[in-house]
Amino acid sequence: MKPGAIIPANAASLTSLTVTMAVMCYLACLAIGALILVDRAVTSWTSGLSREMTIQVRVVRDADIDKEVEKARSITAAFPGIVEADVLDESEGAKLLEPWLGTRSLTGLPVPRLIRVVSDTDHPPDALALQKALSQVKGASLDTHQKWEVELTRMARALSAVSYAILLLICVSAVAIVIFATRAVLQANRHIVDLLHLVGARDSYIARQIDGRFVRTGLLSGFIGVGLGILTFLLLGLFGGGSESGVAAASWGLLFSAPRVALWSYGMLFAVPLAATLICLITARITLIRRLGVVT
Amino acid sequence: MLRLENVGLKYGDGPEILRDVSFAVHPGDFYFLTGPSGAGKSSLLKLLFLALRPTRGTLRIFGEDVGTLSHGNLPLIRRRIGVVFQEFRLLDHLSTYDNVALPLRVAGRSESSYRRDVMDLLDWVGLAQKSADLPPVLSGGEKQRAAIARAVIAKPQLLLADEPTGNVDPVLAKRLLHLFLELNRLGTTMLIATHDKGLVRQAERPVLHLEEGTLSLQ
Ligand SMILES: Nc1ncnc2c1ncn2[C@@H]1O[C@H](COP(=O)(O)OP(=O)(O)OP(=O)(O)O)[C@@H](O)[C@H]1O
Ligand SMILES: [Mg+2]
Repeated sequence: MKPGAIIPANAASLTSLTVTMAVMCYLACLAIGALILVDRAVTSWTSGLSREMTIQVRVVRDADIDKEVEKARSITAAFPGIVEADVLDESEGAKLLEPWLGTRSLTGLPVPRLIRVVSDTDHPPDALALQKALSQVKGASLDTHQKWEVELTRMARALSAVSYAILLLICVSAVAIVIFATRAVLQANRHIVDLLHLVGARDSYIARQIDGRFVRTGLLSGFIGVGLGILTFLLLGLFGGGSESGVAAASWGLLFSAPRVALWSYGMLFAVPLAATLICLITARITLIRRLGVVT
Repeated sequence: MLRLENVGLKYGDGPEILRDVSFAVHPGDFYFLTGPSGAGKSSLLKLLFLALRPTRGTLRIFGEDVGTLSHGNLPLIRRRIGVVFQEFRLLDHLSTYDNVALPLRVAGRSESSYRRDVMDLLDWVGLAQKSADLPPVLSGGEKQRAAIARAVIAKPQLLLADEPTGNVDPVLAKRLLHLFLELNRLGTTMLIATHDKGLVRQAERPVLHLEEGTLSLQ
């Protein structure tokens, strides 16, 4: 005859705790996903950026723009460490300005011309020397994108900090609701707890009868949360749309990338049920021992 | 074993239910506790099984001053005391068997080590057939017997019983009295609160009478 559970499983159900914890875990997964995505996006953007530079040639009075552009191109192409130097033709330049000027014709306007420069990442060119060399060209200036890199990195750091803060807040509220639920279970089973005390049960014994349910709740809600999280990234990856470096591709990459990288993201994601279980167990245990010590 | 000196008790801001109660119980004693309804018999027993603390005076149990006992020390003292509650306090979600076995279970005993003892005792109080039933389907007398079985299963040194024969017929009351006398003969100290004059008369044991908050030996 297997002895029945001392604290009945149906008294003070933990369903609402399971639901709330699952939502928390889901949000935690999103925050972790955002962390990983930001991190990866920054790496890919910045590595792309530092390979590319742009030379801008402004229209200067009493200078033939086409000649100056060609001059800048040939100087740059011959410069050590440069792989490629392409002049963007006028229509491409106009396209870049579209957001500001609209699609109207630009003929007659002094639109600057752009030269896209791809450098050799293994032997990067000396940007300062190149700038100096370009000073012979009237109206030419070199844009190394370094400013953008700095801005992007700062932005990414801010985003990561926000994600960490969100994770922390999720943990704090998880602890709070577990405390609340533990008290509710104790309250609902008050007569049982009192009797157990009177027949000589220790607090630790009573706590063990209860906290197992919190461990199961933590595990279950953690896995529900992670499952929903992965489903979200999958759906974003499939239907998110956007370009090659957009959210869709990034979400897809979160789940299906090189094993070494994917292992990392899955590891982070599956830390969520583990954390949820630990939070449930430790919080419930501490709350139980403290509360049980208060009643007689 | 039990020593009360000028013990007073009140609930919250209410009147003093017990006033200057002093008495001592020695190992092997057998006392009845009588008094009109509402006199405070159950309250006195609650003090003795450590569910309440006296609001004044000193209470010593097994030589320990209850006023200075820490929460962590209560379980070991409570395991030496068996209690039959006036309202039984059986757990409705556990079978009769599990209810009776509860004190052994919380003390850490394994089910296989106590199964025989519990079944023998259930048999003795006439509940062997009901061992798998839940308390809500037991009759009043059956619940009472289950409560008594739970109180004595761990062979306590002190048995406190609150109206243990309140719900049974005279024949069964007599049987239960024999159980108590037998346990007492084997060394268990007894304190039984009761209204049952017949029981007191049959047993021929000393009676502590509680009235208007004071205790006297009759
Ligand atoms: N938890 C409580 N809070 C406040 N007052 C209480 C409480 N329990 C008992 N009392 C009061 O204490 C008094 C004594 O009650 P108690 O239950 O000890 O009497 P009793 O002698 O056991 O009566 P009975 O023979 O009817 O069981 C009663 O007046 C009751 O109203
Ligand atoms: Mg009473």
